[in-house]
Amino acid sequence: MKKPQDLNDAQWQAVTHDGGHLLIVAGPGTGKTHTLTYRIARLTAHLADDQRVLAVTFTNKAADQMKERLEQKGLPTGKAGVDAGKFWAGTFHRFCAQLLRQQAQHTDLPDNFQIALPQQITALAKDIWPDKTMAQRQAALESISLIKSTRLALDPDADFRTYHRFLRGKGLIDFDDILREALILLENNGEAADATRRQYPFVCVDEYQDINIVQNALLKILSRDGVVLTAIGDPDQSIYGFRGSEVKLFHRFTDDFPGGTRLYLNENYRSAPNLLQASGQVIGQGGKQDNFQLVAQIHSEGRLVVHEAATDRSEAEYIAHEIEKMVGGLSLLSNFVRRHGHVPRTFGDMAVLYRLNAQKICLIQALEHLGIPYQASPTAGQAGQALRPGSGQADDAVLRAAEETLDYNVEKVSLLTLHAAKGLEFPVVFITGCEEHLLPLDIEGMTGDRQEERRLFYVGMTRAKEFLFLTRAERRQLFGKGMFNGPSPFLADIEEELKAYEAGRRKKVKPALAPDQQMKLF
Amino acid sequence: MRFYADLHIHSHFSRATSKNLDLEHLYLWAQYKGIHVVGTGDCVHPGWMKELEEKLEPAEEGFFKLKDKFAKSMDAQVPPACRANVRFVLTVEISNIYKRLDKVRKVHNLIWFPSFEAAKKVQDKLEAIGNIKSDGRPILGLDSRDLLEITVEANKDNIFVPAHIWTPWFSALGSMGGFDRMEDCFADLTCHVFAVETGLSSDPLMNWRLKQLDPFILVSNSDAHSPPKLGREANIFNTEFSYRGILNALKDPKDKGLVGTLEFFPEEGKYHYDGHRVCQTRLHPKETMAHKGLCPVCGKPVTVGVMARVEALADRPEGEKSPRWRPYTSLVPLPELIAEAKDVGPSSKQVQETLMNMLAKLGSEFHILMDAPVDTIKRSAGDIVAEGIARMRQGKVTIVAGYDGEFGTIKIFSDKERQRIDRQLALF
Ligand SMILES: [Zn+2]
Ligand SMILES: [Zn+2]
Repeated sequence: MKKPQDLNDAQWQAVTHDGGHLLIVAGPGTGKTHTLTYRIARLTAHLADDQRVLAVTFTNKAADQMKERLEQKGLPTGKAGVDAGKFWAGTFHRFCAQLLRQQAQHTDLPDNFQIALPQQITALAKDIWPDKTMAQRQAALESISLIKSTRLALDPDADFRTYHRFLRGKGLIDFDDILREALILLENNGEAADATRRQYPFVCVDEYQDINIVQNALLKILSRDGVVLTAIGDPDQSIYGFRGSEVKLFHRFTDDFPGGTRLYLNENYRSAPNLLQASGQVIGQGGKQDNFQLVAQIHSEGRLVVHEAATDRSEAEYIAHEIEKMVGGLSLLSNFVRRHGHVPRTFGDMAVLYRLNAQKICLIQALEHLGIPYQASPTAGQAGQALRPGSGQADDAVLRAAEETLDYNVEKVSLLTLHAAKGLEFPVVFITGCEEHLLPLDIEGMTGDRQEERRLFYVGMTRAKEFLFLTRAERRQLFGKGMFNGPSPFLADIEEELKAYEAGRRKKVKPALAPDQQMKLF
Repeated sequence: MRFYADLHIHSHFSRATSKNLDLEHLYLWAQYKGIHVVGTGDCVHPGWMKELEEKLEPAEEGFFKLKDKFAKSMDAQVPPACRANVRFVLTVEISNIYKRLDKVRKVHNLIWFPSFEAAKKVQDKLEAIGNIKSDGRPILGLDSRDLLEITVEANKDNIFVPAHIWTPWFSALGSMGGFDRMEDCFADLTCHVFAVETGLSSDPLMNWRLKQLDPFILVSNSDAHSPPKLGREANIFNTEFSYRGILNALKDPKDKGLVGTLEFFPEEGKYHYDGHRVCQTRLHPKETMAHKGLCPVCGKPVTVGVMARVEALADRPEGEKSPRWRPYTSLVPLPELIAEAKDVGPSSKQVQETLMNMLAKLGSEFHILMDAPVDTIKRSAGDIVAEGIARMRQGKVTIVAGYDGEFGTIKIFSDKERQRIDRQLALF
């Protein structure tokens, strides 16, 4: 096979690597999915008839995309997450749920177990701990989940045992259980493990910086006995530590998978060079996990605007107005194309990002006021619920039906948490609430790890291709409380020359009385 | 029956419209103007839909009338000479903003419905797709072709009309946000479009120059954002007085039910010439060419107007007619005409008084502009206004063409002429 035109040398090296386990360190915009797809396609040539490449993605959506791209390369598949064709693509949860369903007789799980969705668990918590307050229940659930995803050996406390007994009594398993039970199965049942390894001689994992210790252990079992693991990710974009992922696992790759090799993709095809430079400065100030620099492959300059608003409402109005300008005006009354001097954009080209879902209320109001079409990420969970498990086609169908489906391809401005923006890219990105207490997050009851918060901001910045707006409000209402915030310390990490300060539309101020009129008042 | 219809207007739920753009005032002003059938505009907006359901009742098939108890409040303001039945048709305009063939497209499209049921079906679909509550003319990130699909799937009698097809920024063929060919805009569904709206800045003569428009019949409407702007353009039907009558007249190429249109002088429209409003550069397309498309003041590309755009896409010599052509009449709105004759502002008290006096004595504006004998007009409005109307009927008007959003200005009299006619008047 000759090197295709659309792969650079480093990507080609990653695609054709034949020497055992491989960790591809791929910065934002370096063609991660593109490279992985090529590699998977190439690996399928080495499969026997009953074998597949196992492609584990972080979200179902990513699995769908992977499937689509592989199909474009002529690889047959059934539905994503369904065992058919030359590869299987889906989340860890989906893969493990399927394994558990197939091997149910070798597990301690109830027959026909059901997977409980997080909202279902929250509802059940009332029955599990009738004496606890809502906050206590929530804390207990979070603690149990964190223990399950950060420790291999459990040391169950009373809450844990009550919870566990209750769920099993109802024939339920939770999200964390799916992975743990699959791990137990593979550890205790050599035959099942062997069969799985035989079936999947190649394992590929996306977003490796966000795996947790249980997923790591699963991969260790799956990648034994000649199975080749390919992991891809970017430690600078590790943002799920609060949910139990551990970026140190990324750095430990060659210890965990002996004989493993690291390759680096550092040619960025997404962002304008000045935007890339700015995001590099932010991640360079302490959070950087790996010592390599991205090289811009886009050569036209972008624009980085810092806007400081008086209130969260005026911040939102500014953003709505900028969106209107980007589209080149929404009606005959507002045409901005010439003044702005750039090609107009459509709504789907733009994303507004925020640290907390609570921030979106003002934004929605401002967009609705101008009639701008938008879609907001779901409110459930701090990070948006990325993982949706499935087990068997029936489960898949139910879960997919819950997703928003549109018959038509409708363009809207995306309103997303920074977490939910991972893996996406937009020509125009607004990051709102660039304020102390929000970035890094540090408000009552919610304090993020400072370095992880920096990486989160970096993830947001690196979504932008051409325009990046960093906005903040001096006064903000959040959870019913007013707060006065200074600028986010991350803003100061970007050198001044890269930032353009833009004032918003000034509200018309009533003209002061002329001197002679003032006189008349007396 | 012969009737006038204006089927593109907005309600007070649309942006930048007047507060009294409600059914009562539409009912009132339709009679002042001489319009028999008015579009409701904005009918997928939930608030407006509610008002429509509350205040309208079914009349002839697909037509609705204002319930008596609401009509009564207005009747005293209608001079007997203007009194007529007014019917409503459910209509809406959608602003489609989307990317197609690698460019941002902004296209306005009209949908007319045979019933509330049909309108609600489309309303439901659009509500699932986007926000229909913020603006009577909702902005959707939806492809025009897909909107057309939704429209024809919801009800086969829905009528889909690309709006003011030449407006530079917001239309199917506009120079800035549009396409070069109707097929590029509506793709496989182009055959479901049978009428297009010419808009204020173009007249049928200009549209006949494009063979690609031959399959479509040309319609004209006011796009009114306030009641007095009703009927700036309108359609003349002579057919069954019902939605079905209108539908057949537009859809069936053999049907002769649409007998003609009333037009703005296209030069008066906001986008006839090229130029930059902020730079005050008004350019004839030839001048634009001489300046290589750039504004002589700021050096940036000018907004290309309708005249140049038509010329660029034209493939038939001027004067030749298209197969579905209809005669048309170019009019100057009466208040403007009075203002020009009396050399005062169109919203001045003098104009209002003269207008109301004429409506009371002569009948509706359309009647005055087209049918009333000049001598009769003279008696109620004076020589100069009558002379103005006579000249307009002969097409003897000079217009400083509109450009880049600036309306053109009408000239019928020179100052000298005005003095002369006034002096003659003083002799009697
Ligand atoms: Zn329009
Ligand atoms: Zn200019």
